[in-house]
Formats: sequence, C-alpha cells, structure tokens
Amino acid sequence: MASICLYFEVHQPIRLNRFSVFRIGNNNSNSSYFDRKLNQEIFEKVANKCYLPTNNLLLNLINEFDGKFKVSFSLTGTFVEYCEQFLPELLDSFKELFKTGSVDMIEETYYHSLSSLYDEMDEFEEQVRMHRKMIKNLFNYKPRVFRNTEAIFDNRIAKKVAEMGYKGIITEGTEKILHWRSPNYLYKPVNCDLKILLRNYTLSDDIGFRFSAKLWPGHPLTADKYANWMANNEGDLVNLFMDYETFGEHHWEDTGIFDFLSHLPGEVFKRQHLDFVTVSEATERYEPVGEIDAPWAISWADEDRDVSTWLGNDMQVACFNELKNIGRKVKEKGDEDMLNTWRRLQTSDHLYYVSTKGLQDGDVHAYFSPYDGPYDGFINYMNVLQDIKQKLD
Amino acid sequence: MKIAMIGWEYPPFKAGGLATHCYGLTRSLADKNVKVDFYMPKTKHSTSSDKPNLIIKEVGETEIFPYDRPDSKEIAGMFYDAVYRYNDLVVARVKENVKLKGKYDAVHCHDWLTMKAGIALKESMSIPLILTVHSTEYDRSGWLYPNKWFIDIEREGMENADRIIAVSHFTKRVITEKYGINPNKISVIHNAVYPISEGRKQEIVLFLGRLTIQKGAEFFLRAAGKVLDYEPDARFVVAGSGDMLPRLINQSLDMGISDKVIFTGRLTEDEVNHIYGISSVYVMPSVSEPFGITALEAISAGTPTIASKTAGFSEAFSNCLQIDFWDTDEMANKIISLLRYDPLRRTLAREGKREIELFTWDRVADKTIDVYSGVL
Repeated sequence: MASICLYFEVHQPIRLNRFSVFRIGNNNSNSSYFDRKLNQEIFEKVANKCYLPTNNLLLNLINEFDGKFKVSFSLTGTFVEYCEQFLPELLDSFKELFKTGSVDMIEETYYHSLSSLYDEMDEFEEQVRMHRKMIKNLFNYKPRVFRNTEAIFDNRIAKKVAEMGYKGIITEGTEKILHWRSPNYLYKPVNCDLKILLRNYTLSDDIGFRFSAKLWPGHPLTADKYANWMANNEGDLVNLFMDYETFGEHHWEDTGIFDFLSHLPGEVFKRQHLDFVTVSEATERYEPVGEIDAPWAISWADEDRDVSTWLGNDMQVACFNELKNIGRKVKEKGDEDMLNTWRRLQTSDHLYYVSTKGLQDGDVHAYFSPYDGPYDGFINYMNVLQDIKQKLD
Repeated sequence: MKIAMIGWEYPPFKAGGLATHCYGLTRSLADKNVKVDFYMPKTKHSTSSDKPNLIIKEVGETEIFPYDRPDSKEIAGMFYDAVYRYNDLVVARVKENVKLKGKYDAVHCHDWLTMKAGIALKESMSIPLILTVHSTEYDRSGWLYPNKWFIDIEREGMENADRIIAVSHFTKRVITEKYGINPNKISVIHNAVYPISEGRKQEIVLFLGRLTIQKGAEFFLRAAGKVLDYEPDARFVVAGSGDMLPRLINQSLDMGISDKVIFTGRLTEDEVNHIYGISSVYVMPSVSEPFGITALEAISAGTPTIASKTAGFSEAFSNCLQIDFWDTDEMANKIISLLRYDPLRRTLAREGKREIELFTWDRVADKTIDVYSGVL
C-alpha cells in the first residue's frame, strides 16, 4: 500500500512600488512602499485563473469520492491578507474545503520569510506563532506539520520546529541529504524527534514544471499514465508538493491541467494499493526508516536545492544583512506599523528577484519577477531599506 | 574559401564599431582558414596584417568617413562624387587582383559606403554578395530627417545582397520594416570584443562615443546634473568627438556642472582602454543603436554598464542595467545606485565579465562562415 500525499503551497508576496534613490528620506509612509494596484491586479488574476476554479474542482472531487481524495495546504499570511482585502469569498471556499475533513493545513512563517536563517531564532518563532494564530482564527485548527519557506531545512531548523511541538516537517527529497535513499519514506532528523516528509521531486516536477512542456517525452501527461508511474514507485509514500499556482497559472487551462487533476483521483483509486493521505495522516500512519543529517540548509528551489536562490550573490547578502540590522532597530522602537512593514519586506520573494542565477533557473526567476532583472530588483529593494533605515535613525 | 571583403575603416584608423568588427572578424576568419583580401581606403596611418590568410589592400585615397554627412563643411560639394569615385576604384582594384591571383568565392561589404562596388562585383564576376549592416541611415540620423540618398543606396545594396548579416534583431527589424527586405535572407550575428584590462577604479561616470545625435550624450549630461545634486563628488567624462561637441559644452555650462564634466575630445586607443579601465559606471544612452560594441568593451574592463533598452547590445546581454534614453531620472537613479551600492557594482562587474566570455570574434567568424556556406 502506498499513500499519495498531495500538498499545495499558496502564496503571494507583497510587491514593492518603484522607489528611486530620489525618494529616500522624503517622509514616505510605510504603505507607500507597496504597489497596491499591481498586487491587487495580480492577486485577482491568479485567483480567477487558479485559486477559485481549483478550489471548486477539489471540493467536487472530495465529495465525489466520499472524502477519500485528500489534499493539504499551506497558506501564507500575506496570501490570507490579500483574500481579506480583495476577495473574502476565496477564504470562505478554503474554509468550506477544510470542513470536508479531507483537507489539512500546514504551518509556516506568516511572512514566507527567511527568518529561519537569522542568527537568532526569535523572529522565526514569532512569525510561526503569528501563522498559528491566523490558522486558529480561520479554521479553528492547530497544524501538526510544519513546512518552512521554500522547504528550507537544516538541523537547527528541525530542532526548533520539534521544540515548538510539531510532529512533522516537510522538505526536499534531494540526494544532498538522502544520498542513495528513497524519498518515499519518512525519516527523522539526527538531533530531534520529528517526522520528515520528503518531496518526490521527479513526480512533483512532472506536474509542476514539465506538464505543458511539449518536448518532454512524458508529454502529454494523462492521469492514467501518471497513476501508473506512482503505482510503480516503491515505498510508503508519494509526496507530491507543488505551488498551487501550478493549476491554471503556471500551466494555463488550455494545457489540460484541470482535466488532468479532475481525472487523477479516479485513476488512483483504480489501483487497489494506492490511496490519498493528508500530511498529518502520513505522519500518523508511517514510521521513520532512517535519519537525515542536514548541517547545511537545503531547499526545494532551483537546480542547486540550497539557499543560493536568495543568498547567492553579494547583492542578496547585502540586502539580507541590511534587513537583519533594521530588525534590531525596529524592535527597539516598538512601532507596530514599522514592525509589520519590516516583516512584509522579509518575504523571500524580494530576495528571489535579486538572484543572478544561470540561464535555465534565471528563466524561471524572470517569469515571477516584477522587475526588468535582478539588478533593478536590488536597486528598488535596497532603496526602500535605506529609506527605512533613515526613518529609524 | 576566398573572400573579397570591402570595408571603410580598419584599426588603427577607427571611427566606430565597423572598424572593430572588421578587425576582429577578418583575423578570426583567417585563423579558420578563410582567405580574406580586405579592401579599404588608403589613409595616413598605414595598416597591415601579420596573418598569411589576411591581406589588407589599401585603395586610392578619400576624405570621406562612413559617419560623415553630405552637408559637413570640409567636404561640401564633393561628397557624392567622392563616394562614387572610391567605389569605382575598388571595383577596378578587385578586378585587377582577380586577373593576377584568381577568382573570389564571394564579395562581402559593410554598410552603405561600399555597396555600389559590391553590387558591381557581384554582377561582373557572378559571385554572391554578402552585406553586413552595422547601422542604417535611420540610426545615424537619430530617426530625425534621414537622408533619402543614403536610404536608396542602402536599399539597393540590401535588395542585391544574397545574404544580409544584421548586428542585432533590432537592426533586422529595421531592415525588414523600413527597407522592405525579406526577413528570411537576414541572419543576426551579435558583435564581440577583445577584452580590455581593468584599472584602478575611480568615481568616474563615463560616456564614450561619437558626439552625434545618434549617441545621446545630451541625455547623459542631463542625468549628470541630477546625479550631482545627490552625489557631488562624482565626476563625469565625455570621451569622443563629433559635431555636437560645442553644443554639449554649452549645455554643461548652462547646467552649472562644467567643473564636474570633462570633455576629452578624441582619444587614442591606449587612452580609450585606460578610461574604460578606471571608470566605475559606463553609460550608453544611444537614441538608436544597432549594437553598441562600446558597452561590451566597458564591461570587459569590469565597468558596470547602463545602456539604452533598444540597443542591439541590450537584447543580447543580461548583466547590465537598461534605461530608456530619454528617461534621465531613471538614468540618474541607476548611476547613483551604482556609485552608492558597492555590492551592485561588484556583482555587475563579475557577472558581466563572465557573460562577456561568450562574445568572441571566434564565434562571430563561425557564424559568418555559416552564412558564406549558405550562399556558396
């Protein structure tokens, strides 16, 4: 028996306004840093193409298969804020999904930040608590499984997450930590008691990245073919983790992505030894088969599967350090609005836009970036940070 | 393979990218066993080749430069005559050479100046004509009052060419849209650079190019004024000569920044390399730029570069900053950011140098040989 664990990351960053050097020190309001119009536009566009139709489809599928089709979600705080501002009915539809009992919620940092990489873990803890509070308010639920921003994981993070009471943690099933071993089992960290769920990146990326790639030998990918691939995988679990925007946004409707999703549960249930589990159920049903040692941070991003996506060049490191320094001053000041602004600037996307990685990964970066390139991204972000710094002095 | 190539300028004589291109291309072709006879006007700087496959043939004498306008004072009245006379001389010289040394496989011309000769040779010797377009009359006039005489010659050359090489997709588009040429006979080959060594960096913001309407130096000065309000220690260098020099000097006086702007006039090759090496920012605010080899030169010397979005260079190169030439606020924003943020400068310099390694004359020669092979 193998269990399929489908989990979707649901996130939208709060993008910045164009902020030239000439605006530094001009008494800018905190809200003027953020491009409300662009953010609303993108959010509504993605909601219509992806969030609303996919939620609707998932609800139908759960009902059609009497709750045996199961999925898990991780909603970031910034995403939920967009829902509250622009589209409350989208939150309602997530609540409705959750009420079926076949949907699990995953914890993460409220701001989808890199706070797990700071020298002290206090900011990370605080942002996890904010997220916990948000999920409690929305769903009256306490998540048992944690997933750090972009699946960033190392021993230190695992230990902190275990201390905070979570049963499981999600990260990338990369050879860097697995070596010869399979991602289709649970593992535990070397230094604490926690169950690690590892993303099966081949099968996940078949949907997430390759689904609409006409040159890929697997194209066109049908639910039948894909269910066969999963059935042929050895192990307890097939962990399929991907951006929720895969459905309708990264792959548009005309690629057949929704047809694929709607046929998937039926094809899976045709195979007697396959079923679906939520992330919590996965950690309850199975036991770790080995240990994972991650002294250096890994992630699910780019080909490198490390943190070089956000901290890979001098510009990114400079912004990251500036951001940390500002944090100390913000906390001393005790200005709530400033604190919230600083936290919004911690969303990892801001540093992602500044990545100068090679062509192949770079193409993906360019697709998501609101800037003309990493250098423009740096100038804009750094200018905002400099303005905040001046306000604090 | 034996090519009769007809150019107008060749180092050490050099007024623009055409010379740089011909130099790099012919030397790399020679290394790849293509025999090239390069025909060019005799100048006071004599030039020669150290490669057996490459022979420089200097023809007659002329006062015309490829970037001259018919109305410029020194050559007024004799411009058109001089052009026709030179083309006739080239044709005679090539034919003479064929008698002595045998036939060419193809004739390859660069820009409008030698197109008449190229067409004549194609017809009389029944060999294919290849034409490289480094710029069009639209570029050189900054799209203001282009001269019909040049356009007609350019069109005639393009129509007669068996194959056209454009230095960018930007230029390919101009050739198809403004000259009505079939896009299928145009190949795009981006330019290349021989790297220049990096010097000890100073807080210098550099403009280097012909001071003509095409190159947009006036926008550079406007941005300089804005930068100086915020970064009073910055220095600006305008290197090059051209008909706009007096106007630009006046502009800097009117703006009250003449103590911060140095006009160097025309520089020698060593001086050019030196100034690239010690500058912290290079700006190429061209109004119309088919490619812009100077951007490659600056980056090869470790100098972060801000270039016009529409420049051919910008379509081919990632690790640079781009602006609209008229957007002097954004130009100033980027100059100031480069002066202030060391990590930005460092990353652009490092990533730029890495990317520049792809822009070799060896690659240009390979692609040019592909074009030759396609018509032979």
